[in-house]
Amino acid sequence: MVYDLYKDRVYSIALYFFHGDPAAASDVTQQIFLKLMTSMGQFRGDAEFSTWLYRLVVNACLDAARRRKSDAVVSDRSCLEAFAAPGSQEDDYSRAQMASSVRAAVSALPPKFRMAVLLRYFEDLSYEQMAKALHCSMGTVASRLSRGHRMLAERLKGLIQG
Amino acid sequence: MFTRHVSRQLAAHIDGELAQPRARQVELHAAQCAQCRAEREQVRFGMEILDRLPPVEAPDAIWVSIEAALREQRSRKTFETWAVRRWRWAFAATAVCVLLGAAHWSVAHRSATRWDVVRIDGSPTVIRAGKWIETDSASSATVKIGNIGSVEVAPNTRLRVVTARPGEHRLALARGEIRAKISAPPRLFFVETVSGTAVDLGCEYTLNTDEAGFGLLQVTRGWVSFQWQGIESLVPAGASCRIRPNVGPGIPYFDDASENMKQALENFGSEKAGDVALNVILAEARVRDTLTLWHLLSRVEAEDRARVYDRIASLTPVPAGVSRREALKLDAETLRRLKEELAWTW
Repeated sequence: MVYDLYKDRVYSIALYFFHGDPAAASDVTQQIFLKLMTSMGQFRGDAEFSTWLYRLVVNACLDAARRRKSDAVVSDRSCLEAFAAPGSQEDDYSRAQMASSVRAAVSALPPKFRMAVLLRYFEDLSYEQMAKALHCSMGTVASRLSRGHRMLAERLKGLIQG
Repeated sequence: MFTRHVSRQLAAHIDGELAQPRARQVELHAAQCAQCRAEREQVRFGMEILDRLPPVEAPDAIWVSIEAALREQRSRKTFETWAVRRWRWAFAATAVCVLLGAAHWSVAHRSATRWDVVRIDGSPTVIRAGKWIETDSASSATVKIGNIGSVEVAPNTRLRVVTARPGEHRLALARGEIRAKISAPPRLFFVETVSGTAVDLGCEYTLNTDEAGFGLLQVTRGWVSFQWQGIESLVPAGASCRIRPNVGPGIPYFDDASENMKQALENFGSEKAGDVALNVILAEARVRDTLTLWHLLSRVEAEDRARVYDRIASLTPVPAGVSRREALKLDAETLRRLKEELAWTW
């Protein structure tokens, strides 16, 4: 079933996109699958299904972020810390802390870089598929991924060296 | 030789997404440039560090909400069907057969293909194929295109719904301006004009035309293909394309191209290749203006084609497998491969 196959990946992208806010991530995930199920007839099969799905994900996340009007503000850190992730149950404290720092760093990326990085990481889409989902050229995808990953490295360099 | 910095292409290089000539170019540059080497390490580090980001399981409550929403939609549909049947029965009792048919039509079209027109100052109206939508100087409208997007209709616009079915949504723009915002697989939404047809490839764009067919297509997101009698212009985000009757779509250009270049493109359609306009276009072209040059390849006379190709090759490396001879013969596969490589800069 499509929902079972994609739900965790879609939810994860939404969760990290919305700074670890589970309510926002749940709302957007619900919206995406509802739209998917009610408009499945529109899908003609001449584009890859995952490309179509992730285009819905990108649109839903960006639309919701615009409605919230708070996306530019880096989230409440307690919210990021709170959501349950397997890493937080690790005995190794430093690994859990690292996971938390990575979540915060991803959350602090500007939306267009954040979405590109999340799509690459959670879906392993090709640059062509990402370009279709993000409504931009492959060159723009490459540029956003380069800059996004460099921003992450900049933010996390001190923490690792420390 | 020291080439331009390759910061923008580092992620693609690491991910193996660059074609061989460009990948080699990035390697050669990085070997000589400490800044790009350092940036490449940063990108690589950023990618590795994301392994610490665990996927999160979606809560079961989401599926419960989806089921509830689907149930609600179904019951609403059932209620609507029931209500319309009663209405139809009442009409049957009064033997108004024509109206009965209309009621049946209404039921049949309550689907994802329905188009809702929302006038700024009025209530939504469902429209069907064959209907005209017209705005005057003081009004505008928004048309919801099934579940795939919407079209804003500017004042003084006249357009017709040609087709409204799941596999094809088609409008005819007689005059005026529309702004389309579509989120669907490519080639589901079409807008016909006197000068050709705009084919949505997943995008947002503005299209205007006068009654004679002169107008402009401006793309703000994604891609649009504008087609007329086998001639096609591919227009990416940030670019525009003139439309003119009986000659096919104009050559697309980026909106930030030089004014001289834009002016030369305006003149190009009315002059023969090899004239002043072509000289200006070639001289003013930047790397991303290979969008314009690539389209020019198939629009100039044969004797000028080599100049256009050589200008492209002077601006950006030509990928392996693209031969000048085949490109000049307008071999379709060669042009496609060339376009795919050039599109990295568009």
